[in-house]
Amino acid sequence: MIQWTILLAEAAEEGGGLFDFDATLPLMAIQFLILVVILNVLFYKPIGKAIDDRAEYIRSTSQGAKDRLAKTKALAQQYEQELIAVRREAQAVIAAAQDEGQKLVAAEIQAAQQQVQQEREAAAQEIENQKTQAFQSLEAEADGLTRQILEKLLGRELV
Amino acid sequence: MEILTGLKGLSFFPLAELEVGKHFYWEIGSIKVHGQVFLASWFVIALLVLISIAATRSIQRVPSGVQNLMEYALEFLRDLAKNQIGEKEYRPWVPFVGTLFLFIFVSNWSGALMPWKVLHLPAGELAAPTNDINTTVALALLTSLAYFYAGFKKRGLGYLTKYIEPTPILLPINILEDFTKPLSLSFRLFGNILADELVVAVLVLLVPLFIPLPVMALGLFTSAIQALIFATLAAAYIGEAIEGHGGEEHHD
Repeated sequence: MIQWTILLAEAAEEGGGLFDFDATLPLMAIQFLILVVILNVLFYKPIGKAIDDRAEYIRSTSQGAKDRLAKTKALAQQYEQELIAVRREAQAVIAAAQDEGQKLVAAEIQAAQQQVQQEREAAAQEIENQKTQAFQSLEAEADGLTRQILEKLLGRELV
Repeated sequence: MEILTGLKGLSFFPLAELEVGKHFYWEIGSIKVHGQVFLASWFVIALLVLISIAATRSIQRVPSGVQNLMEYALEFLRDLAKNQIGEKEYRPWVPFVGTLFLFIFVSNWSGALMPWKVLHLPAGELAAPTNDINTTVALALLTSLAYFYAGFKKRGLGYLTKYIEPTPILLPINILEDFTKPLSLSFRLFGNILADELVVAVLVLLVPLFIPLPVMALGLFTSAIQALIFATLAAAYIGEAIEGHGGEEHHD
């Protein structure tokens, strides 16, 4: 190390050396500051703006997409509910119609049964009437025949 | 002295030679500057400006090519500044911290990758601008100014209370810190880059083929890490100056 130091010292004597401070320092500082300003205009601002704009664009687009998605979901739900309501209504209508139909059928069946019953009763009545009538005429005939038999057997005077 | 003579003997070797502390002086009026540093730094600056122009020539919403690369770079730098300075305050400091990183990074890599030796200067040799102490000290002093500016702008004269926090006993140490910060910043960068270039040069001197390659690769890695460290520390100092030294705000 000593030798190196000597070497450096020797170099410094000739106007040089590793630790040779001179006007390079301030000029380099100024140059660097100018570079900062130039790069600020040429690089940081435009590229930064591009990045921020893109971030903003993505943010707003994704926000819009989210909004639309939410709207779509709300609409779908609304339609679903409307569908459910309509379905319920339709079922009610169907049920009512069925009910009515059944009532109608039942009423008609009852009416038909009543009619049949009535007709049967009427027929039975008529049969009964004819039976009694037939019995009466049979009785009368039997009476006449009996009288004739008696007349024949006993003679006219006794009868 | 044997090593010296040995080195001098080696320097006659035609493939490579080792030059340390020799500068290509320009004299402007009565002041002297290191010409090779400025030539290399102008190259770096031109590279940065050109790539910025290429990236922003036609900005698309869907980035591609150079724009994509530079957007990646900017997001990286923003993250770096954001992590150290904080979400609220980092935005105005992105250009400074980012340029620190870009300038140091491109300088270091240009020193490692560009065949500067092809260009002959009357004295000295072209190398990374960051292997000159003037450059690193300039950057470190700018960093110091930046964090003083940040502290005073944010907290006014209340910034000075950081010197007696947490207790006035630490006043000398706190004052010392303001000197050690730029010192460590500048010497860390300077030492690493110079050492890296010296190691490569010495190895090339000894074995000109293949053997120096791993060391060169390691040099690229170190160079990138040094740029990152410098920018991160600069951002951390700024963030510290803005936030306050005590760190009471950290209990969240």
